[in-house]
Amino acid sequence: MGNMLTAFLYAGVLGAIFAIVYTMNRMTPVPEGCEDLKVSCQGCRDIACGNHPSHNE
Amino acid sequence: MDLFTLFISAALINNIILTKFTGMCPFLGVSKKSSSAIGMGMAVIFVILSASLVTYGLYYQVLVPLEIEYMKLISFILVIASLVQFVEMVIKKFSPSLYKSLGIYLPLITTNCAVLYVVLENISKGYDFLHMLVYSTAVPVGFLLIIVIFSKIRERLEASDTPKYFRGNPIALITCALMALAFSGLAGLV
Repeated sequence: MGNMLTAFLYAGVLGAIFAIVYTMNRMTPVPEGCEDLKVSCQGCRDIACGNHPSHNE
Repeated sequence: MDLFTLFISAALINNIILTKFTGMCPFLGVSKKSSSAIGMGMAVIFVILSASLVTYGLYYQVLVPLEIEYMKLISFILVIASLVQFVEMVIKKFSPSLYKSLGIYLPLITTNCAVLYVVLENISKGYDFLHMLVYSTAVPVGFLLIIVIFSKIRERLEASDTPKYFRGNPIALITCALMALAFSGLAGLV
């Protein structure tokens, strides 16, 4: 039981760290000149990927 | 000699793309231009090396003492995702020129299964710190090598007279298969 609780707490701490870092990254402004950067990716069939060209249409 | 053998084996003979078939998404998606391929490869080297260092330390200093080794998969995924976000934030803030060249690839690498493959292999193979360092350097160097070679081939294919229905992804996949065949000839060398 103690081991399971440790595991849940550990996962919770990692999840919280990820949420904090993700939020901080989102709040950090993109440098000047980098606003329109795009990966030169032709896209595969994975529509879920953020770089798929269909998202830019 | 052992470390050198490990390096050659990880980079060429057991190449992560052509032999293990991981990291295929950025390999196929970002290899149209060699400049993009080089940028992607450099970013992968950085992420895999730093993720390996962090996850290796986390496993042996936290998971093992707390006897929760079974949490390694989920914790490694979270650590890699957090690390990439952190690195992107730091690069945005302190090095705009580096962000311009490499930063755009970082979110792509978060979901690159090659990163997770390497950090899990470091643990499953029971590498010590030095072997882990060599392996985690060799694998992304092999990735960089293959993606650059593939991008050069694709650039030539763009300029060549490819049959209509083979243009784009079909001929790229055929090329990839031929490269994998070529590298499979190295199997058993080390």
